[in-house]
This record gives sequence, structure tokens and C-alpha cells, in this order.
Amino acid sequence: MHSTFIVTMVARYVLSHGLTILNLLGCFVVCSSYAEVKKNNQGVAEIDFNQDIRPILSNKCFFCHGPDENKREGGLRLDTYEGATDEHDGIRAVVPGLPEQSELFIRIMSSDEDDIMPPPESNKSLSPHEKELLKKWIKEGATYSKHWAYEFNRSKSRDSLATDLPSASETIDLLIDKKLESKKLTKVEEASATALARRLYFDLIGLPAKSSEVDKLNEDPSGYYELLVDKLLASEHFGERLAMYWLDLVRYADTVGYHGDQDQNISPYRDYVIDSFNHNIPLDQFSMEQLAGDLLESPTIDQKIATGYNRLLQTSHEGGVQPKEYLSIYAADRVRNFSSVWMGATIGCAQCHDHKYDPFTMKDFYSIAAFFADIDEDKHFKVGSNSLPTKRPPELDVIPISSRRKIANLNSKLENEVLSEDEKDIIINEIADLESKTIRTMVTVSKKPREIRVLPRGNWLDESGPIVLPAIPEFFGTLSDGERRQNRKDLAEWLFRPESDGGIGELTSRVFVNRIWYLLFDQGISPSLDDFGGQGVPPSNPELLDFLAIDLMDHGWNIKRLIKNILMTRAYKRSSIPTEELMEQDPENMFFARQSRFRIPAESVRDTALKLSGLLVTDLGPNTAKPYQPDGYYRHLNFPTRKYKQSMTSDQWRRGVYVHWQRQFLHPMLKAFDAPSREECTAKRPKSNTPLSSLTLLNDPVFLESARHFAEKGLKAHPNSSDQDRIQLLFKEATSRKANKELPTLNNLLNKSRQYFKLNPQKAKDLMSIGISAEKWSGDFEELASWTQVTRAILNLNETYQRN
Amino acid sequence: MRNDFESEIKRRTFLGHTGFGLGSAALLSLTKKGLGATASQKQKSIGLAGLPHHKIKAKRVIFLCMAGGPSHLETFDYKPELEKRNGEPMPDSFTKGQPIAQLQNSQLKIQGPMTKFKKYGQNGQLISDFLPWHAKMADDICIIKSMVTDQINHDPAHTFMNTGTAISGRPSMGSWINYGLGSESEDLPGFVVMTSVGGRNPQPIASRQWGSGFLPSRYQGVEFNSSGDPVNYVKNPWGLSPDMDRLLNSTIQGLDSQRNQTVLNPEIETRIKAYEMAFKMQTSVPELMDVSNEPQHVLDMYSAKPGDGSYASNCLLARRLVERGVRFVHLYHRGWDHHGGLVNYMNICSGLTDKATWALITDLKQRGLLDDTLVVWGGEFGRTPMFQGKGGAGRDHHIKAFSMWMAGGGIKGGVSYGATDELGYNSIENVVHVRDLHATMLHLLGIEHEKFSYPYQGLDVRLTGVEPAAPITGILG
Repeated sequence: MHSTFIVTMVARYVLSHGLTILNLLGCFVVCSSYAEVKKNNQGVAEIDFNQDIRPILSNKCFFCHGPDENKREGGLRLDTYEGATDEHDGIRAVVPGLPEQSELFIRIMSSDEDDIMPPPESNKSLSPHEKELLKKWIKEGATYSKHWAYEFNRSKSRDSLATDLPSASETIDLLIDKKLESKKLTKVEEASATALARRLYFDLIGLPAKSSEVDKLNEDPSGYYELLVDKLLASEHFGERLAMYWLDLVRYADTVGYHGDQDQNISPYRDYVIDSFNHNIPLDQFSMEQLAGDLLESPTIDQKIATGYNRLLQTSHEGGVQPKEYLSIYAADRVRNFSSVWMGATIGCAQCHDHKYDPFTMKDFYSIAAFFADIDEDKHFKVGSNSLPTKRPPELDVIPISSRRKIANLNSKLENEVLSEDEKDIIINEIADLESKTIRTMVTVSKKPREIRVLPRGNWLDESGPIVLPAIPEFFGTLSDGERRQNRKDLAEWLFRPESDGGIGELTSRVFVNRIWYLLFDQGISPSLDDFGGQGVPPSNPELLDFLAIDLMDHGWNIKRLIKNILMTRAYKRSSIPTEELMEQDPENMFFARQSRFRIPAESVRDTALKLSGLLVTDLGPNTAKPYQPDGYYRHLNFPTRKYKQSMTSDQWRRGVYVHWQRQFLHPMLKAFDAPSREECTAKRPKSNTPLSSLTLLNDPVFLESARHFAEKGLKAHPNSSDQDRIQLLFKEATSRKANKELPTLNNLLNKSRQYFKLNPQKAKDLMSIGISAEKWSGDFEELASWTQVTRAILNLNETYQRN
Repeated sequence: MRNDFESEIKRRTFLGHTGFGLGSAALLSLTKKGLGATASQKQKSIGLAGLPHHKIKAKRVIFLCMAGGPSHLETFDYKPELEKRNGEPMPDSFTKGQPIAQLQNSQLKIQGPMTKFKKYGQNGQLISDFLPWHAKMADDICIIKSMVTDQINHDPAHTFMNTGTAISGRPSMGSWINYGLGSESEDLPGFVVMTSVGGRNPQPIASRQWGSGFLPSRYQGVEFNSSGDPVNYVKNPWGLSPDMDRLLNSTIQGLDSQRNQTVLNPEIETRIKAYEMAFKMQTSVPELMDVSNEPQHVLDMYSAKPGDGSYASNCLLARRLVERGVRFVHLYHRGWDHHGGLVNYMNICSGLTDKATWALITDLKQRGLLDDTLVVWGGEFGRTPMFQGKGGAGRDHHIKAFSMWMAGGGIKGGVSYGATDELGYNSIENVVHVRDLHATMLHLLGIEHEKFSYPYQGLDVRLTGVEPAAPITGILG
């Protein structure tokens, strides 16, 4: 088969060239299952179990012959070497070296409907290629290796790394280049300085590039690049950009989610997340604070706010909910989210049965749930049902971190600057004002843990299952020293301890770096951002994933450092326009011979239009934005009935990350651009182009208001320009480039609009009533309206929201 | 020689990029795992290649959701025993260890039927006095008396009824069906949802009920509103002339396609098509919603007053939608949650829905549409045989037994199917789980539910889930 041939060729190539990487890295040792390519006697590369065989067995066989003991057919398990090779009634599924004597091979090759595996009723079948691989694998000895994600071989200690190792960024490029060579893929050229500036802006702060910065980078592409990177990493909008993603993972929302979907108090947590990214809080600390901040010694106010994480799940305040049922729903929700966010694992699948594909048992599921059994949430069954916001004690009244930072700045101003009495008074008042504005937020309070039992089939009514204590999944070992009950703090520490110290830090790190890589390339090194299990897609470049993971661990879980290392690579800077060859050979961009292009996230779509118009409010802080929303959009909400009150202050134009997140009825603009409801962990948003998103850009008042202000900006700033110059100026603001063929098209729109508004002068004036900005316009209304049509066109262009 | 696997990757990749097929995330898992059916590249109105699996009996579905959970004991499931033992304590043997909602910690006593039943139609279907118009169509509908579900609270029960699981984030059945079969409408979405006004203080209903979950967003249900913009943002608040709208829209499409000559991004093609569709919707949606061209006798048959947002108007709109090729129309009428004052509220709910439902069936029949349109009627669960007294006699949520009916495309009319025990507590004969209902619906649409899946988080996820499910062969015509 042709593809077998490719596999063999690639393996051969790695064989002869792959080791050079290792030499080059000074015996840097990466995940052994990939790096160790063995030769057999004939010098032909062997089958790699994880790459070639596990996906087949997992997808086609494990459902009935896998880790789940209760569903195991005929007592046969194929997920372990012993299980596959043991004798059952005189028959061995796998006889290493002898496919023809292996029942597995006989069955998959059978043409008898009663014998063939997988059985027809499973709706699964093996391709000839897969059969061939299995045969080859058995012939070569049917070796098993641990699933890639759970194996991390750092047998050579870090000390053995050569001191003259190239920089992290160079290493990344080397690893990618090697992979590209082995795949015979040709890299594309570096992107233009303009594209790079836009890319950095969108990726790092989620806003369109400033024209002056685009110009600077164009003037000095090599010299200014790093300066721009540093500048954007230091921008306070960086935290907002990363928060958009983190809030998807942890399913942050402003409402409870179930039934009445009442508001809940939690915005200081959002503030905390943004601040943490901005101040580059190391990932381990950031995670610890969220999972177990309350268990730290004398927790700070921020550590308490951070524990809002444990309260972010969906809850119900419906009359008639049975506490036992909902406590079991909440426990499951927490296990699902915790394991997705930090472990890239789908342990949620083990709620009713052992995991079908991964070594997680039902007991593991409930043992993890037990870590969270101390979280006080009794009261919400008794109080708060129909109030708005609903009462969800335990809650704290806090001054959010952004306000405290402002207060600190003002205090230092008072101390260090020479100020008049009046100026001092103003500052003192400002401080008093900030200090008076406390905001309520849900926090975690630990109480005596409730009893957690394994629930047979996940059924909360069945109390026959054994009681479990907090424990990590058994196949990872054990945390307990037998004395003390393990708690959330132990769990969080375990996530970040290296394997050599009994932890799963390498896994945690891989999951995180893979997601950061995805944000910067629109493709993960493993595309399965939320499933590193047997059913996920293995990393396309395992050495790269592991290098990044180790590097993050070895440098104190420093997130900005990780990001900068990636931004400084040649790979990041490549053009996103694929060659025909790449479209053929690597359509999904698995190997990073080019960059990716994609529409920016929903929040950034909003931010971009507002930024171009000049309306965007860029203040940080906990205030929630309530943008214009269609009348009656909440009419289906009840307990209590809801009347949406749009923001009537400048909060109206705050960034998308601050928009009120109503789980059941997410703002239609955000929804149209694929923002998730945040009921569950979302690691990858879809990116769709639907008529609803077109209608939103065309008709949502915020985009009309933005278009008007964008037009005003153009008219005011350039009073004496020609139409053509003005179109150029506006077009460049949005796209960072000159209009070419676009010019006559836009000119035509402008002139036709002028004709229309001349005949319909009232329509031109009507424009002013859209939105609450109500800014006086002293100029010609018809002219403003005509130019607004031009800016509407620009604010509807694909390119305006395209990250290249 | 290039093997099939590789060319499949390329074809699917092309689809993924044009947006006609699957998102790139799904695509990868697709190519890794293979899928029973594959995406078609021809037209977005066409569904998966390989579908239908067998002959189609129903081309489209109208799902009439009576949200809140109508009482089976006062609609279709007559229990004389209940009448006899009215007021007696409910035997422990029924309720011990069973899930219970608002009646937790209350004394449980039997509540007899709060209305009379009579036999209607050729086969003498039992229908209560609350539903006089249903009585007239007894020969058209197949009443399933042995429904069961897993979820006892409204929100998860709806989620379960719509997506086959109580876990949030899964596609609604309308999304599944559009994903599988595509839409036949060129200028309307394939999955339309409408919720009516009127009745008692309604239970909330979440937009997740018509979400597309992990399926591409274009399969999500689009809500049509009876007041304000019929579809969010379909109207321009500025109110410029249609010519101006067209000019702007074509300018945008023109600029996008000019740019695409340089950047060669297939996603832009999809975007241009989306703008085209958006523009069409600006005309087609108001045209659809404007029922002024319907003859008076039709309006009278439904008792619909144009623009009133009533269930009656929505039934009429449902007919207009299926006429225009919309694949799945989901109507919600809320107010069926009768913990107390059941007689009063049943009268109100029936008054608002009974006649219009009959009119819809009759209208579809007269137009020859009922033959290939499946109509489903029912709530998210039933109600207890036990008394609850929140302001007069009522009943609590109940999941072990409830009634639904189906009519039209491929369904045997005029019969009842399944039965509950003497107190209407447990479904005991020909028990129909929500999963079986889904399997039946898919079967009628030409889809074998076991072969209809989507790869998500390592699983081939199906609407009918992993537990056993099967089409109800006994009700197929």
C-alpha cells in the first residue's frame, strides 16, 4: 500500500536523521516512544504502537475489549500486552510474531459474518491498510507502549543538557524544520511586516493593529519585531485576550445556567484572571489559587476570589430539585471540568462505567469528585431561588484587584509627587470612591466533606456503591500517606509536580502548551486540545510538544516566557498563505510549514469595530457590559421574569470579554460569532460563517453606531481630503493596507448613497438616533450618512476581522 | 496508487475549508476514525452522502412541545382505578425509592382523573374532555401511552428530550436532522423554533434546547420571533430602502471576492454565500411571517390573529415553513406545569392549543403535506397519579409514564400504543423511552439511528446515545 510505504519512508528518514536532533540538543531526551526508533534485523523501521496501532485498537476494539471491565466481551482485553497474549480456552488473541496463529488476526480477516471482528452490528470495520498494520505489528512482536500522553521519559536528567543549547525559539524551529524535512514539506516565506503586526496585535491583545506600529515594523522589520512583541506582552490588554480563552475553559458565566438562569455574583473572579495573566502569575500558582486558594495558609483576598473557580459550574434553583440529585450533577460537572482544563482528559466518561478507552475507572471518577466534596454549597438549595442576582453563599464583598491596583497607584502618587491641595483632594476622593465600591463574589469555603459513594450506573438513587476518599486515578499511583485525607491543595500540587516526584506535571504542561500553541497557530501540536486520551489525535510533532512542556516546567511555569519563545520563532512569522503543494500535502497545517488565517474570536470582532470607531472603552475593571440587545430576547426567562437593561454609561462600549454572559441566552452577537454558552469546558471554538453572523454585522446597532463614529472620525480628522484620500484612510485603519481595486467599488457606494440621502434627508438624520452615544454632529448629515455606508462596508469585510 | 484514505482526507479537507462540510476539528477526528456517512460537497442544502439509509417516509418534522409536562391522566390515559381509589394513600410499593420532585417529604395520596374521557374515531381512541378538537382527529394520530424519560426537572428533561442526554452542549434533534439530511430551503434556515405567548406563568426555556452542540453552527435552530424583528438583526434599524440594502450587501460581497483573488481563501466563498443568504432572509423572513395573504377561512380554522404570537399563529407559520422546505419546525407552548389548579390551567392550555393543533393537522392533510410530514406532540414528562395541592388539586412531575402522539409521515393513525399500570404510575406494556422516540423519528426520515453519529471527544456520539434504542415498529404505517 502506498501509505504504508510512506510510513516506512518517514520512519526510515527519522531513523537516519532523527537522531541528529538529539545530538544537536545535547542528548536532550524527549518522549521515548517517539524518539527511540528501533531497527529490526532487516533494517526496516518497526511499527510504532502509539502512532500506528493504538488508534486502531482504541477506535475499533476497546469498546468491547478495553479497560471497562463490565463491558468486556469474552473476558478479552486488548489494551494490555498480557490481556492480548494470555490464553483463553486454548486460544490466544495475539501470538507475538505469528499473525496466522493469532485469533485477532484470524478474526479480522474472516469473511464469515459470525466470526468477523469488529462484528457488523458495531458499525465499525477495518480498512485493508489497518489490517495490514495489525499483521505487521503482531509479526514484529506485538509490543505495547504506554499511551503517549501518560508516558514521559526524562531518564537523562536536566543536568545533562548541554550548556550551549540553542535558544528555546531556535530549538522550536529546529524541531519543526526536522519534521518538515522528514515529511518533505516546504516552508513558506516570512509574512509581510504588515501581516505580522496585525497578527501580533490580534493574537496578544485581541485588538486591531495601530497604524503607527504597523508603520514602525515596516520600517525596521527585524529590529522592531521583538520590541513590538515585548510591548504587547506588557500591555494590560494581554490579560484580556488570554482571559477570553481561560474563561471558556473554566466555563465562566454571569448566570447560573439551569432553569431560571438567574444572575450570580462572580465578576471579581474575571478581574482576577485578567490581572493574573497581566502580572504573569506562574501557571502552577494561578491554578493552585483557583482550585485551593482557600486552603493556603492565611489566604490573601485574591486567593479567595480565585476560588470562585469551584463555584463556576451550572447550578439550579428550580423548586423541586432534589439536593442529592443535584449534588451528584455538580460533582460530575466538577470532575468533567477539572479533568478537561488541567489534564486534557475525559474522565467525565467514567461516571457510569469504567472509561471505554482510557485507564480511568468509575472509582477514579468518584475519587476525584471526593476532592471537591468539602465545598460548601448547601445553602443554595434553601436560599436565593428567585432573587436577582440569586444568593449563593458563601460570598464575599471585595474590592476587585483592578481597583486595588488603581488605589495603589494613586497612593504612590500622593506619596511621591508634588501636588497641590486641590489635586490631593481629588486623588483622596478617587481613592475613597474606589474603596467604597465593593463587589460581591462567590468563593469556596471548606467544610466537613460530604460522603461520596460510587454511584452504580451514575444513578444517584442507588446508594449501594462503596464510599470513596479523595484520590488521584489509580493508574497514576497514589498521593495518600495513609494518615491524612487528601484535599484540593494536594490535587493542585500533584498537577504540577514532575513525574519523577509522583506528579503529572509533564502532562499538565503538555496540555497547556498545546493550547497556547493552538492560540498562536490555530492548530494544536495535537489537534485534540481537550482529549489527550486514546481517542485523541497524537501530537504531530511529539518532540516539539515535549520540548515546550519541559521548557515551561523548567522555567517556573512562566506563561509570558512560553509565548514569547514561540513568537520569536521563524515558524510563527511565516506567511499564512499556503502554497498549492501545502494545501495538497498538509491541508490541516499539522506540521507548521505555514501560519494559519482565521476569523478572530467573537469578543474581538466587537472590540475591533468599536476600536476603529474610537468608541471602545479600554479600562480594566469588573464592570459588566450590557450591549444593545434585541427587544424581548430574554422573554423565555422566568423566575423571575427578566427585563434586559442595556448599559447606559460608557460600559456600553467595554470590551467583549466583559459582556454579561447569560448562559441560556448568550448575547446574540457573541453567539453569532461562535462564542460558547460556557455550560461546559470549551477548548476550541468553532469558526463559522453563517447568515446570522452577516446579519449581525449588518444590523446590530453597535456596528451601525461604530460605523457612524468611524465615518465621523474620518470626516473630522481629514476635513479637506478628497473622497479618494478619505476612503484610503478609513480602509487602511481597518485593514492596515492601501485600497486598490476596492477604491472604485467604495466610491460607487459613496456616490449612490449620496444620491439616496439627498432624496431622503430624514433618513440621514435618523442615523443619529441609533445607539446611546448621541454625539452632536455639526456637519452635513447627508454626508455623514453616506460615509457611514462606506464604513459599514468596511466593518463588514472579511479582512477587517481576519487574523493572517 | 493513492489509497482511498488519502483522497478522502483531501476531499473532506476541501469541504472543511469551504464550510460546506465540517469544522476542521471534526475533520481531523473524522479522517482518523472514519464515519459511517460522509459530507456532501455539492450543495449546502444537501446532507450527508450515504443518507438516507433507506426509503424516506417523512421529509420533515413539526415538533409541538407542550412545555411543562401535560398530565397524561387528564389527556389520553384514562385510569378508572384512580377514580375508585381517589383520596387513598398512594401504595408504597409504587413510590418507594423512586425519584420525586416537589412532593418530597409530603404524604402521597391518590388523585382521581379530573375530567371525563370518551371514545372517538374508528378504533375508539380514549381522549379527555379537555381536548374536544383532538377528538375530531382521533383517526389521524397515534397515541403512545407508555412513554418514559430519565429527567424529573424541567430544564434537564427538555435537554434530554431534545438532545438525548441531560449533559449540556449536545446537538438538538433538529440540528441532527439538518446535519444528516440538509435543508430543502434556499432562503430560510433548516431548523426554525417558535415559542408562543399566553397561558399561565411559564417555565423558562433555554436556547440550548435548539443549539447545534458540537455540530457546525449552521445547523443550530433559528428562533423566529412574533414581535420585534422576526429574526434577530434581520431588519436594519436604520430602515434604508431595499435597494440600499442590496447595494451595501453586494458591495461587501464584491470586495470580499476581489480580495479573495489575492488570498485564495475558500472560507471567503462561504462568507459570500452567507451574505447572499442573509440578504434573501431579509425578504423571505418578513414574507413568511406576513400571513395577510392567507384566506380568512384558513385564519379562522386556526383561530389565528396575525402577529399575536399565539400558538395558533405559530401553527399556521409552521405550515408555511414546511411548505417552504424547512426541515424541522419546533414549536414550544409553555404553561403545562400544573402542580395545582389543574382543571383551570388545563382549560387555559387546551383553549390555546387544542383547536390550532387540529387545524394544523387538517391543513397539512388538505394540502397533501401530512403524508410526508411527521408531527409529534408532547411534553418533557408526565404527571404523578398523586395529588399535589398548590392552589387547588394538581399533580407533580412524573417520569415513569406519560403520553405523546405522532401523526403523519409513516405513522399509523387512529391507534394507541403501549399502556401504563392501573394507577398510571409505571409504563408497563410496550414501554417507549425517549431514545426510542428519537430512533423512530430518524427511522421515518430514512436514517438508521445506530449508523448516524458524529465524532466528538473520542466517541462516535449519537442522538440516541449508547443505551439500547429501537424504532417503534408497532406504530409504523
